[in-house]
Amino acid sequence: MAVETPLRQIRHAAGTGAGQASRLKAAFTRWRVPLCVVALCLLPWILPSKALAVNVLIYGIYAVGYNLLFGYTGLLSFGHAAFFGAGAYVTGIAIAHFGLPWYAAVATGILVAGLLALVIGALSIRTRGIYFSMVTLALSQLVYYTALQASSWTGGENGLRGFTVGRLDLAGLSVDFLDPVNKYYVIMLFAAAALWFVSRILNSPFGAVIEAIRENEVRARACGYDVERTKLIAFVLSGLICGLAGTLSALHLAIVPLDTLHYNTSGLVVMMTLLGGAGSFFGPFVGALVFLLVEDVASLWTSHWQIIVGSMFILCVLFLPKGIWGTFIAWRTGR
Amino acid sequence: MSEVKDGLFKTTSRRAVIAGIGAGTGLIAMPWVARAQGETIRIGFPTPLTGAFAAEARDQVKSAELAVKLINDKGGVAGRKVELLVRDDKLNAGEAATRTLELIEKDKVHAIVGALSSAVQLAVNEVTRARGVIYVSISQSDTINEVKDFSRFTFHEALNPHMTTAAVAKHTFKPGSKVAYLVADYAYGHEMLRGFKRAQAAIGAQSVGEILHPFGAADYSTFMPRLRSMRPDILCICNFGRDQANAIKQAVDFGMKQQMKIVVPVLLHNQRLAIGPDAFEGVVGGANYYWGLERTIASAKSFNDAFRAANGGAVPTDYGAYGFTGVYSLLLAMQAAGGTETDKVAKALEGLKYDIAKGPQSYRACDHQSVQSVLVLESKKKTDMKSDMDLFNVLVEEAGSEAALRSCAELGFPA
Repeated sequence: MAVETPLRQIRHAAGTGAGQASRLKAAFTRWRVPLCVVALCLLPWILPSKALAVNVLIYGIYAVGYNLLFGYTGLLSFGHAAFFGAGAYVTGIAIAHFGLPWYAAVATGILVAGLLALVIGALSIRTRGIYFSMVTLALSQLVYYTALQASSWTGGENGLRGFTVGRLDLAGLSVDFLDPVNKYYVIMLFAAAALWFVSRILNSPFGAVIEAIRENEVRARACGYDVERTKLIAFVLSGLICGLAGTLSALHLAIVPLDTLHYNTSGLVVMMTLLGGAGSFFGPFVGALVFLLVEDVASLWTSHWQIIVGSMFILCVLFLPKGIWGTFIAWRTGR
Repeated sequence: MSEVKDGLFKTTSRRAVIAGIGAGTGLIAMPWVARAQGETIRIGFPTPLTGAFAAEARDQVKSAELAVKLINDKGGVAGRKVELLVRDDKLNAGEAATRTLELIEKDKVHAIVGALSSAVQLAVNEVTRARGVIYVSISQSDTINEVKDFSRFTFHEALNPHMTTAAVAKHTFKPGSKVAYLVADYAYGHEMLRGFKRAQAAIGAQSVGEILHPFGAADYSTFMPRLRSMRPDILCICNFGRDQANAIKQAVDFGMKQQMKIVVPVLLHNQRLAIGPDAFEGVVGGANYYWGLERTIASAKSFNDAFRAANGGAVPTDYGAYGFTGVYSLLLAMQAAGGTETDKVAKALEGLKYDIAKGPQSYRACDHQSVQSVLVLESKKKTDMKSDMDLFNVLVEEAGSEAALRSCAELGFPA
């Protein structure tokens, strides 16, 4: 299942005498973050609108963070909207109610999402399979209803408003954040950082351990790895990155709708990850791109766009079980 | 892990992928090619074409398109043609914000009209306000009138819950009436409930209980015995769209109507059509528009006639009419301003006196709420209906006045 992990690739290269395909693959892996960033630089000029491109970045980060847990550690969480939403709400509240500067609000948003992931993770990682999914779903629903009830803080059903960030000021620099191109490239810097961070994790021994847990938990335990702690760390790292996506979403839209915490938002990231390819590095980004693009274009044509999006998803699940990017990588590298 | 595939299958799928990418790129490039360069005035129109309010949204689009067509037939605004860009906001605030950003940044619209749910319109308002774009909101909300969400460029063409509930309560509640409430548990329901309770206190009626139901609930059977045990004279059902139709139908199935009067804040044309006359018979509610106004109001007659001509004899609906009055009043203001310059258009809207569908209307200076009449309607008995479209009796036409609105000071505006 693993498509482009360094350990496997080295093993593979040694085993087959380093064919051309493996060398290509090695180059792909080594340069994956710069390659992704180059692709992202071009994105706003290819997509129909800058607002859509920014959404692709945000949901791409969300899916990349989710993939760390789902694709690489093998844990199907159904509550990641809680971290996305926590990031978004905390950022909004920090600016609207406490008047924090934007960078402090972003940091607070990520931090709180990480703390929330620590709590939810600690409560859920000891369960397995469907039980794990259900526990994460239930705990994220708690977060949803908390936000609904605390309407003086969160705006309740009407959503959180009143924290529009027009300019980003940092260390003497000032950027007009209402300009769509500036907004895209600022958010892209965060996306690049998130991609680098995930790539670094996956290339570390820790990355090899989470994959070992995904492949065979009993064996990983027998090898002496602390499975519970590793899972918890993966959960928290995933929560931090999804929290980052949430804070960026708050900055981008200047509102936090209650839907952000809805379980549909949790389901959305599962679909995007599957569509792009779970367990591949750039797959989730591709999944987010394809999903949002098809939805955007199809809903311009017809109010029955859901049929188009639904059929596309069914076709991908039927014919591309590794996802769009996963299948592409497997085909390019001949695996 | 590696699967054995025969060559044919592999080539086809490869070709399919390339063809797909090609088609996709062409498709993406299309909007740029199609973008008009001329002097066209573009109005963005986000509305929930999919979701629970889709029927109302479709009527809004028809009416908004009619307004654009009528103006274009007269030669446009200051010699420029008008174009309506309809977008599906999917009844989702985040989607609506994205769509509004697209409309402003990519399509370079000159103004936005639309949104049907209050959370969605507040999201649209946040985006337009930060960018100084004119927004005419056509969904009921009290929040948007308050100073916190106010923008110099935002105008609220729809009624607000305060106006609606005050008019309905005035003609249905009596001193000493006992009222039970069934309320949809989201912003719209809460605002309507707040409005009714305020009116109830002024009239001297009393509340005997309230039940909140989840938004989009299909089954109300568990609520009915509880409501009946409260022994109210009036059952007030504060929800919208399909929820309203389901709730009223089930209340009637439970025989509630024999013991109490059913009152709703907004009596919806489409839902009455969907459920039929028997369940709705005698239900009283408020409305911004009813096509039957044509008997007494000349502008309603000409709006209906134009609508019938454009839509194969169909009549406009209440929420549909918002699409017409919202777009038309904006275009009138642009005409008065001689173009699309935001400050001038906003000034022109502030000073606008218009009568385009339902009698005189104008925007109040402090909060930009449209001062207009509120209708109180009663659903007709089947035997009293003269045609399929003859749905309601107009009980009262409460004339528009600033006294019916919350005061500017109460909304937080400086005196």
